[in-house]
Amino acid sequence: MTCLLRTNQLTKTFQGKEVVSNVNMNIQKGEIYGFLGPNGAGKTTIMKMITNLVKPTAGDIELFGEKLTDTSYHLLGRMGTIIEYPVFYDKLSARENLELHCEYMGYHNKQAIDEALELVKLTNTGSKAVKDFSLGMKQRLGIARAITTKPELLMLDEPINGLDPVGIKEIRDLFKMLSKEYGITILISSHILGEIEQMADTIGVINHGKLIEEVSMEQIREKNTEYIEFTTNDCKKAAFLLEKHLGVSNLRVMDDHIIRVYDPSVPQSSITKTLVMNDVVIESIHKKNSSLEDYFLSLLNGGGIVA
Amino acid sequence: MRKLMSLELKKYKIGGYIRGALIANVAILGMVLLMIHGVEYADEAVFTSFSEVFIGIDTFVRGTFIVFAAVLLSRFIIDEFKNKSITVLFMYPINRKKLILAKLTIVFLFTFLSIIISDLLVSGAILAINEFTHKMSEPLTASILTEASISFGMNALAASCMSLIPLYFGMRKYSTVRTITTSLLIIMIVCSNNGGVSLNNIIIIPITLAIIGVFVAYAALRNIEHVDVIK
Repeated sequence: MTCLLRTNQLTKTFQGKEVVSNVNMNIQKGEIYGFLGPNGAGKTTIMKMITNLVKPTAGDIELFGEKLTDTSYHLLGRMGTIIEYPVFYDKLSARENLELHCEYMGYHNKQAIDEALELVKLTNTGSKAVKDFSLGMKQRLGIARAITTKPELLMLDEPINGLDPVGIKEIRDLFKMLSKEYGITILISSHILGEIEQMADTIGVINHGKLIEEVSMEQIREKNTEYIEFTTNDCKKAAFLLEKHLGVSNLRVMDDHIIRVYDPSVPQSSITKTLVMNDVVIESIHKKNSSLEDYFLSLLNGGGIVA
Repeated sequence: MRKLMSLELKKYKIGGYIRGALIANVAILGMVLLMIHGVEYADEAVFTSFSEVFIGIDTFVRGTFIVFAAVLLSRFIIDEFKNKSITVLFMYPINRKKLILAKLTIVFLFTFLSIIISDLLVSGAILAINEFTHKMSEPLTASILTEASISFGMNALAASCMSLIPLYFGMRKYSTVRTITTSLLIIMIVCSNNGGVSLNNIIIIPITLAIIGVFVAYAALRNIEHVDVIK
C-alpha cells in the first residue's frame, strides 16, 4: 500500500497558542481513516491545513506523493471536502450549486450531478434555494458536492452532524461503497466513537493538538479486551484475595466498588467462589467487551488528560 | 479569466443590478430635468448652459455608481468571506489571485461601463428633450461635446478606480455597512458641488483617490496565497 497523505511534524500556532503540535499522520491509499478526538482537539485545523486554507507554522504535508505548497492548486482538484459545516451559495438550488462546483473543478460530466444527488437522496428538491434546506439536507448536499467529481481523497469533517439515524446509516453505507467500489481514500473526522468504529480501517486519536495514537482497527480488535467486571462492598479485600488465591495480576480497581479482571484464564465461577468463601459480598458480576469507547477514553486519560 | 468572471456573474445573477442601474438612470434624468426647469417654479435655475448640465449629470452618475460599486464589492467579495463560502472557492484547483482578480475586474468594469453608458444615456435624453423645450438656447458646438466626452471618460476611469477603496474598510470586519459608508464618504469628496466649486476639479484629489483604489485592489491580491482563511 502506498501512502496518500503524510504529515511530518505538522504544527500550527494561533496567536501564540499551539493548536496542532508535531502531528505525524499517515493515510494509506484506499483506506477509511477515522479521525477521532473531542471538540477543539485540532481535527478541523489539520483538515484545513491539508486543503491549504490554513498554512502550517512548521512541518509539512505530503499529498499524492507531492509536497503541499501555497501554490499547489492542482492537488486541490483531486480532493472532495466538507470542512466544518457545508457552505453553499444560498440563493441557488442544489443542482445549480453542484453545477458551479463542477465548473470550478473543471469536471464536465453532467451525469455525475444526477448520480451524486441520487446517492444522497436529494433528487426531489427542484428549484428550492439552499437557504431553505434543513441542516440534514445541507449536510447531504455537502456530501454530494464532495463526491460529484469522484475525487481520490474525500475529506469529511463531522459529516453526520444533523442527520437522522436512518440518514446516518445510509451515509455510512455510502462511504463504505465509495471506498470499496471507487477505491476512494476517505478521511473522516468525528467525536462520535461508534460511528468511526463501524467504518474506519485506521484510527487516529487526537487530543489537544497532539496525535496520541494511530492504530488499525484490526489491531484494536486483536487486543485482549475481554474482561470481567464486578461490584463489591470491599474492593481492597477482593483485590487482595484474587491475587493471593487465583494469582490474578491483571486487574484494575475502577473505584471504591468496581473491579475489572483482564485475565481470560480466570473463569467467572472461581472468582465468585473465592470471594464468597471469604465473606466478600458481590453485588453484580458481568463479562464484558471493551469497546472502542473504553480504548479511546483510556488513551485520552492515559495521556494525563481528562477529556 | 473570462470563464471565472462568467461563473461569478452566474453565481450572483447580475441581471438585478443592471435593472437597478437603469432605474437609477431614470431617477438621475428626472433630477437633472428638475434642475433645468426649476426656474419655472423657483427663482433661479441650477443649470443654464450645456457644460454645466454635463458636469451635473456626470456628478450624479458617478455618485450613484460609486455606491453601486460598494454594493457589488460587498456582495461579490465581502459576503463571500463573511459566509465562509470563500473556503469553498479557495478549495478549487484555481489560483486564488485569479479568483479575486475576477471579482475585482467585474466590479471595476461594471462601474466603468455603467458610468459611461449612463452619462451617454442621460445626456442624450436631456439633449433630445432640449430640442423641444429650448431651455438652453446656446449653440451646441463640437468643442462643448468633445470637452464633455473627455471629462466623462477621465472621470469614469478615476471613479471606477476609487470605487475599490471601500474594499479595504469593508474587509476589516467583513462588514457591508462599512463598505457602503466608505463609498458615501468618497462621494462626499468627489461629488460635492458648491456653487460650481467641486473638490473633483482639484485634479490631484481624484487622481490620488484613484491611485489609492488601485493600491487597495493590489493589496487585496498580493498576499492572498499565503494567508490563513479563517473566520
